[in-house]
Amino acid sequence: MKKNRSLWMVKLNTASIALIPAAVAINYIGKLFAETLKLPLWLDSIGTIFAGILGGPILGALSGLINNVIYGLTVSPASAVYGIASIAIGVASGLLAYYGMVGKLWKVIIFGVIVAFVSSIVSVPLNYIYYGGQTGNVWGDAAFAFLNAHHVNIILSSFIDNISVDAPDKIVSSIVAFAVFSVLPKRLITLFDNSQETTTLD
Amino acid sequence: MQNISLYVNKKSFVHDVDFLTKLIYIFVFIAIPIISGSVIIGLLAILISLILHTCAGVLKKLIPIVALSLFVLLSVIIVQAAFIPGYHIVFFSLGPVHFYQEGLIHASLIIVRFLDILLVSSLTVLTTRPSDIVETLQRKGLSHRMGYVINSIFQIIPQMVSSMKTISDAQRSRGMETEGNLFVRVKAFLPLIGPVVISSLVGTRERAMALEARAFSADAKRTYFHEEMKYRYKTPVRIILLLLLVVSIIWRVL
Amino acid sequence: MSKVVVNNLKYRYPLTENLAINGLTFEIEQGELIGIIGRNGAGKSTLCAALTGLVPHFFKGAYGGSVHIDGINVKESKLSYISREVGIVFQNPFTQMTGAKETVKEELAFGLENLGVPKLEMLRRIEDALNLLEIDHLRDKNPLELSGGQMQRVAIASILVMHPGLLVLDEPTSQLDPQGTAEVFRAIKKLSNQGMTIIMVEHKIEEIAEYADRVMFLDNGKIVAFDTPTNVFSMNHLEEHGLRPPVFTRVCKGLGIRDLSGLYPVTLSEAVNEVQKFNESD
Repeated sequence: MKKNRSLWMVKLNTASIALIPAAVAINYIGKLFAETLKLPLWLDSIGTIFAGILGGPILGALSGLINNVIYGLTVSPASAVYGIASIAIGVASGLLAYYGMVGKLWKVIIFGVIVAFVSSIVSVPLNYIYYGGQTGNVWGDAAFAFLNAHHVNIILSSFIDNISVDAPDKIVSSIVAFAVFSVLPKRLITLFDNSQETTTLD
Repeated sequence: MQNISLYVNKKSFVHDVDFLTKLIYIFVFIAIPIISGSVIIGLLAILISLILHTCAGVLKKLIPIVALSLFVLLSVIIVQAAFIPGYHIVFFSLGPVHFYQEGLIHASLIIVRFLDILLVSSLTVLTTRPSDIVETLQRKGLSHRMGYVINSIFQIIPQMVSSMKTISDAQRSRGMETEGNLFVRVKAFLPLIGPVVISSLVGTRERAMALEARAFSADAKRTYFHEEMKYRYKTPVRIILLLLLVVSIIWRVL
Repeated sequence: MSKVVVNNLKYRYPLTENLAINGLTFEIEQGELIGIIGRNGAGKSTLCAALTGLVPHFFKGAYGGSVHIDGINVKESKLSYISREVGIVFQNPFTQMTGAKETVKEELAFGLENLGVPKLEMLRRIEDALNLLEIDHLRDKNPLELSGGQMQRVAIASILVMHPGLLVLDEPTSQLDPQGTAEVFRAIKKLSNQGMTIIMVEHKIEEIAEYADRVMFLDNGKIVAFDTPTNVFSMNHLEEHGLRPPVFTRVCKGLGIRDLSGLYPVTLSEAVNEVQKFNESD
């Protein structure tokens, strides 16, 4: 990542806009893949993470938001509200990539853990409103029940419920997103850099 | 082409209602039960939404959407009724596990609120064409670039899925392993996904150029190929909905 | 004034060392059909991008010299403004469909909606383009479900509705089957006959020889030759620049058949003509 690119460039160029549908489609395909193979992961945010890495926090946030709008229109209307968590995933990915959490495997794993952490923080209030704090995942909810029964604070239980499912998922998703990023031609990557300027020859 | 949206293309008085009025309906029907704090009002809102689903002929499509949430709702009942400390009145027991009455009441509150949110949002999504939603929002100020993104996804995803199918059929005919342990299966699927993902990303460059050639970045005042959808009863329906909201607030305050 | 005036144009892509285009200077007149030829990496697509403003506005990079279309300086103008003056069609018909429209007629309307063209004017332009490209019967079809040749004609039509004065085609038939190629060439010929100024990159050299008024031969980002097809393909040492002249030219060169001014035929009909003269002179 070049340090001099502007982080919060709001006016996105057309290449970045055209990347959003691809990012959402990658989320969709990842999810399909996980379901087809019955993996114990969701893999439905690879594209959002990728968009954050490639285009920064704003593009990541937009990809996450639109991903859940589409999810609401195609699968589960009520879940569109989880778009807030997807936005957080996109923003976190953009910031982490910008601040250099890239390149080495251990860095990417930390990247995944932080993304999971951020998305869990945002998901907890939503889980609370919707389901009284649960996620619907067997292992996560078992942890929730166990902690609750042992008088652990409900917010902390809900957070642990969420992150115990999220962390492995986001680590694998981040590794995949970086793998894709590393095989893309560099000339393609510069197109998504909104701070590129034309220089003059002569 | 395969259609991924939940929209059911039918004719009914629910379909005729414009998207903004439906948004007001969503807001009002979620807000009233929460404001009133009453399970009965919540159940009433669910009942009305169910009747509207039936009138629109979309009840069948609602079933899979609700089914998707069955597991988490079951989990809510078990955890809330049996594992939250501090409850005393045992409602019933399954072996060593006691289900408490207070927990069950709390669980039913959660479930009614959840079903209410699910049903009102489903009704809107099932009876409004996605491109109409986008166009309505664009006329209200959504950037046309975002509108483009949403519309295009409905075509790009089926396109990608179908090219994945083509590749996977070819792989299978060459004897690719899709059975076996997890590692074998994951290894088998990577060659399917890799090319589709990479080519879709490389394709964004050309698509972006093609969009520029079609004045995508123009900041002129847009015009629309489609006439704006007009709903005849939009004003009375909106007034009734907002009146309901006002009444519920007054009822609560008094 | 000429339609297109290019003066000492130089361009380098970001993250690259070599100039993709290195000092091009030329002019093109209203109504000409120009064929651009040359091997891969010669700078053909970059030139197309420079004529439409994608270089430098889309690609950024380093830019020198100038391109004027109808007196408009491309570097100083916004892309959306240039898109009214210059239309461009690319290789891949699929990525040129917006993917956001469900019918061909809506697809054609996309650019016009962006430009804010009034509804009635929009309908009129769409009808004209549907007729011109002979895709009227496809108007209610989903653009993504068409054949390659049909899709490419929709791509051309959706540019033409914007009424550009110059049409740039970057290898418009390279991903099409023979039937699709024939459909597209017929459309291009029709447009040219109506007086449209067209610049076309094309590897199918026989077609260039047949249709182009002039041929620009690029290599290494520079112009090797810019002249009539006959003059360009009659040059010696073309192969050194990675160019195979049309088959008729090669045959006649091999046989030593040339016209009175010493030039070789480039199309089938010219070749037949010269061969007949050659036989008669025996």
